[in-house]
Amino acid sequence: MNVLLQFWSGYARMTRRWPALAAIIPFIPVVALWSAVAAAGIFPRAFFPGPVDVVNSFVTLTYKGILPDYLGDSVIRLFTGAAVGMALGIPLGVLIGTSRWAHRICWPILLFFQAIGDIAWLPILLIWFGFGLTTMTFVIVYTVLFPVVLNTVLGVESVPRDLARAARSLGASPARVLWEVTLPGALPNIITGLRNGLGYGWRALIAVEMIVGTSGIGFMMFDARRSGSTVEILLGMIILGLLWYIVDAWILAPLERATGQRWGLVTS
Amino acid sequence: MKTLSLKNLAKTYFDPYAGSHVNAVHDVSIDVEQGEFVSVVGPSGCGKTTILNMIAGFIPYTGGEILLDGKPVKGPGPERGVVFQSFALFPWKTVLDNVGFGPKMRGVPKAERDRIAREYLALAGLSHAAHRYPNELSGGMQQRVGVVRALANNPDVLLMDEPFASVDAQTRMTLQEELTRIWQERKPTVLFITHDVPEAVFLANRVVVLSKGRVLDQIEIDLPRPRVWDDLVKDDKFKQLSARVLQMVRAA
Ligand SMILES: Nc1ncnc2c1ncn2[C@@H]1O[C@H](COP(=O)(O)OP(=O)(O)O)[C@@H](O)[C@H]1O
Ligand SMILES: [Mg+2]
Repeated sequence: MNVLLQFWSGYARMTRRWPALAAIIPFIPVVALWSAVAAAGIFPRAFFPGPVDVVNSFVTLTYKGILPDYLGDSVIRLFTGAAVGMALGIPLGVLIGTSRWAHRICWPILLFFQAIGDIAWLPILLIWFGFGLTTMTFVIVYTVLFPVVLNTVLGVESVPRDLARAARSLGASPARVLWEVTLPGALPNIITGLRNGLGYGWRALIAVEMIVGTSGIGFMMFDARRSGSTVEILLGMIILGLLWYIVDAWILAPLERATGQRWGLVTS
Repeated sequence: MKTLSLKNLAKTYFDPYAGSHVNAVHDVSIDVEQGEFVSVVGPSGCGKTTILNMIAGFIPYTGGEILLDGKPVKGPGPERGVVFQSFALFPWKTVLDNVGFGPKMRGVPKAERDRIAREYLALAGLSHAAHRYPNELSGGMQQRVGVVRALANNPDVLLMDEPFASVDAQTRMTLQEELTRIWQERKPTVLFITHDVPEAVFLANRVVVLSKGRVLDQIEIDLPRPRVWDDLVKDDKFKQLSARVLQMVRAA
């Protein structure tokens, strides 16, 4: 009991000092189990490679330049899609959140299109735009758009009415109220929307790359299936998880917390 | 003279769900002279907030008129400063930037509006809090910021809707004393709304008693200033006036 407590307090102190450790340590048993299963030879090696094989493949593909290229393609696609999704989603969300009429008209339409999942658009997109960047971008933008719009609306509506009134009584025009009150007040929600949108977009992108891609991590994984390279498939999966973990846990989540807590908009 | 005058002011709300009308304010006429401090007191639901919201321009009125300096008011504007019960400070701005917001909207350059903001923060004894964010302040301090933010914009009239209702009793008394002190220094025109009779009497030159959307009576409060609670709680005249107003409010 005492030993456990001491171990726990040591762990708490250590992870306080090096927060990155808290993210890495839980994976040690997972990787160990994986190694053990692979080493036990229950499954054929080519069918179930171990961590060392995956690391080797990572080094080779990086050295050849394939991995950096594909990764770059995927990330650029995601961010282009996210940028367009935000450029459309934030103004639309603000409009719906501020105008009762826009809300009445757009909301049912929005919910209808949200119900049609991103991938469900692929058949018609392939006919319209073919296998290419337009189709991919459309799907990403579509995926990012809804969480951004819905959360922006939520954010705009959550700004206390008295704040806008105070600004008006201090001489702000309606346009300045938008800029000085509505947008900053909605920002924590907008970032939540962006965080969700990027998460969904990242997953949708991989799926789309598998179907229409000629490059990218999704393409790499699907291509590896054709050549029967289990190692590369596993490598792709690990990169997906890792990259998202880094972006979400180290960039988006802190950003979300920073805006919300600093301003006392979220209670925690 | 910049007089605020309400002439036969009326407001009928329409409730679209019930499909019915609510007469919140019937026929209210009040004049507030420049430099005067007028309290409006009445039981909850008698239309106080409705009146203030109409003067502030937050909601339209359905009868009568509101004149400021002889001109009808329409929509919100900086010549009518508002202090809210909810404080309504901008959480993402520092105290300094909150107080400098009005001047900023007028296009006053940064250095000058910081100077103005600091001057007003000093007036409320808040100089040390200039760079803090509202959520780092106590309720009493937040409302001090709310008051000087409105004052720093130099409004013709200051509208206050139960501004001290959500702070604790001790802090409330301090805030009331500070408000009378600031009023004596700067002589702003104030329309102060409250359901608290001693508060109304303590602060005002004149108390307007409201009942069911109508003015019941107006009472001059000729108590000497400066006013502090330690003196007034023992003052016979204060007790008399408070009792008189209280009686009217309770009968209302
Ligand atoms: N938006 C509204 N719609 C319908 N009725 C309202 C609305 N706001 C206030 N009322 C009604 O008007 C009356 C006066 O309300 P209010 O001005 O808030 O009173 P007070 O501030 O004195 O408590 C009340 O009966 C209240 O129910
Ligand atoms: Mg009220």
